[in-house]
Amino acid sequence: MRSRRLRLPLTRLHQALIVAHKSVGRGYYRLVLKAPEAARTALPGQFVMLRVSDTLDPLLARPFGISAVISRSSLELVYRVVGKGTTMLTTAKAGQTLSLLGPLGKGFPLPDKKTIPVFVAGGSGFPPLHFLTQRAGSRAHLFLGARNKECLPPMSIVRSFKENTDNVHIATDDGSAGVQGTSTDILNAFLVKMEQKAHFVLYACGPHAMLAAVSRIAAEHAIPCYVSMEERMACGLGACMGCSIPMKAGGYKRACKEGPVFDSLDIEWSEQVRLNLPSVRRS
Amino acid sequence: MANKNKTEFRIRNSELIRPDLSVSFAGIKLKNPVLTASGTFGYGEEFAEFVDLNKLGGVIVKGISLNPIKGNPPPRIWETPSGMLNAIGLENPGVEVFLNEKMPYLRKYDTAVIVNMFGYSLEEYIAVAERLDGVQGISGIEVNISCPNVKAGGMAFGTDLRATFELLSAVRKTTRLPLIAKLSPNVTDVTAFAKAAADAGCDGLSLINTLLGMAIDVRCGKPRLANCTGGLSGPAIRPVAVRMVWQVARAVSLPIIGMGGIVTGEDAVEFLLAGASAVAVGTANFINPRATLDVLDGIEGFMREQKLGDLREVIGKVDAG
Repeated sequence: MRSRRLRLPLTRLHQALIVAHKSVGRGYYRLVLKAPEAARTALPGQFVMLRVSDTLDPLLARPFGISAVISRSSLELVYRVVGKGTTMLTTAKAGQTLSLLGPLGKGFPLPDKKTIPVFVAGGSGFPPLHFLTQRAGSRAHLFLGARNKECLPPMSIVRSFKENTDNVHIATDDGSAGVQGTSTDILNAFLVKMEQKAHFVLYACGPHAMLAAVSRIAAEHAIPCYVSMEERMACGLGACMGCSIPMKAGGYKRACKEGPVFDSLDIEWSEQVRLNLPSVRRS
Repeated sequence: MANKNKTEFRIRNSELIRPDLSVSFAGIKLKNPVLTASGTFGYGEEFAEFVDLNKLGGVIVKGISLNPIKGNPPPRIWETPSGMLNAIGLENPGVEVFLNEKMPYLRKYDTAVIVNMFGYSLEEYIAVAERLDGVQGISGIEVNISCPNVKAGGMAFGTDLRATFELLSAVRKTTRLPLIAKLSPNVTDVTAFAKAAADAGCDGLSLINTLLGMAIDVRCGKPRLANCTGGLSGPAIRPVAVRMVWQVARAVSLPIIGMGGIVTGEDAVEFLLAGASAVAVGTANFINPRATLDVLDGIEGFMREQKLGDLREVIGKVDAG
């Protein structure tokens, strides 16, 4: 193993040791993986591909946004159990190792001192933004939206905002937590009230429909907006061409390579409406 | 005297002899039989961080067409049990960008470069083949007549015997490069297509391409892929691929690149025993970027374990009674 490292010093393929792995409530898990080389270079918005088992079913590695770097040597991933792969991952125990590829993709442009970052997270889209909030300063705002209280990320994960809870805005579809409505409703209401928006920058992660709405709101208020796009991917290296995001300028870009973070103005949002009609064929 | 004894010991102990893995395929000299399946390894550069390309038998690049192709709308992939469906739609930058921006990188390596190509018409196939002919660093052409994800071209040629013969005959006339036909498994009798390729003057065969498949989201009643159908790859299709390689190896004398779900060295040996002279690692590159080298190590380990010195002792040696 050591000689391989020497031969390929820059490789992003790691055997990562599980340092901690625990349920943190509401179907979310916190996984801490020791991978010093990956932790040293990881940037907010980047992701890793994790093989949840050594078997061939499920076959593909899963992409996970990095939610934090811990003591410069470990990566923290917070994930929600959504299917076969993540269910299998919950059984992995501290002391085991997992095949980890990363950090991958391009992250968020980091806010400068003047910037007032506004984070918008929908569904399980919080983790990559959490990494960014660590570098955000006290003026940042966070908008969280989910179907109901049970679907919100546990507040323990939102810990970086604990001291500044006035800046945490929550909406649920059924009103079981925060305001009844969507994260984009309360975001829009907030921005309408604000007179001085010159230093605002939106950072959003969540379902496509939410990102499209955030992008529209950002354009209406003339605020820069960066979105982290999710798409099914096989390799994470730009080879499978599976994770295509339609671009306004025509053609596609890969979420894994040119993304997952894009300037919302560059994305062709209308194509994100997934009709999947049999007649939709292009060649 | 002591030295002589040492040498004899080395020869007797097969563990210490490096088996000869080199193979001549359709006139192309390969260091070893491990290639990369088209569309799973980009243009080599994407994997250079993980794999010393000089260690591979060769790289079969992602399919190239005359003009740039933007590909199908997403979702383009869907995972299935031990496999995956894809409907990328042959997205690629076109032959000129490939030659100007991708080939210079590949030329730096001492490894065979086989260019997979396709067209939407006979004329386009011919135009691309003409453009590739005589380009320094290209060892051979793999003609894709079997992509299941585009309407025109692709599988439309590869599932019609006459179209297969006419297309391959026409491409044959345009190039002196070794010509390899990548056959579709989506036919009843693959040997008939192998014979058509042989009659058209091809030098080798690649099989198999992906199997046409479909998955449906039962909750919303819609296909998982925007293209509705896609090509199935991965370990799930390996038995089908091994069967087809075996059938074709018995039917024609052309050498075969066997592929379909190879993950380990033993998987590769299965194809070699069935009659393939070389193998290509495909979907496994997605789950392990070092898969090609692991397969190569596995083949070498198998040969040592079986005390075999030469690949010819493996190729086609299945004992089928």
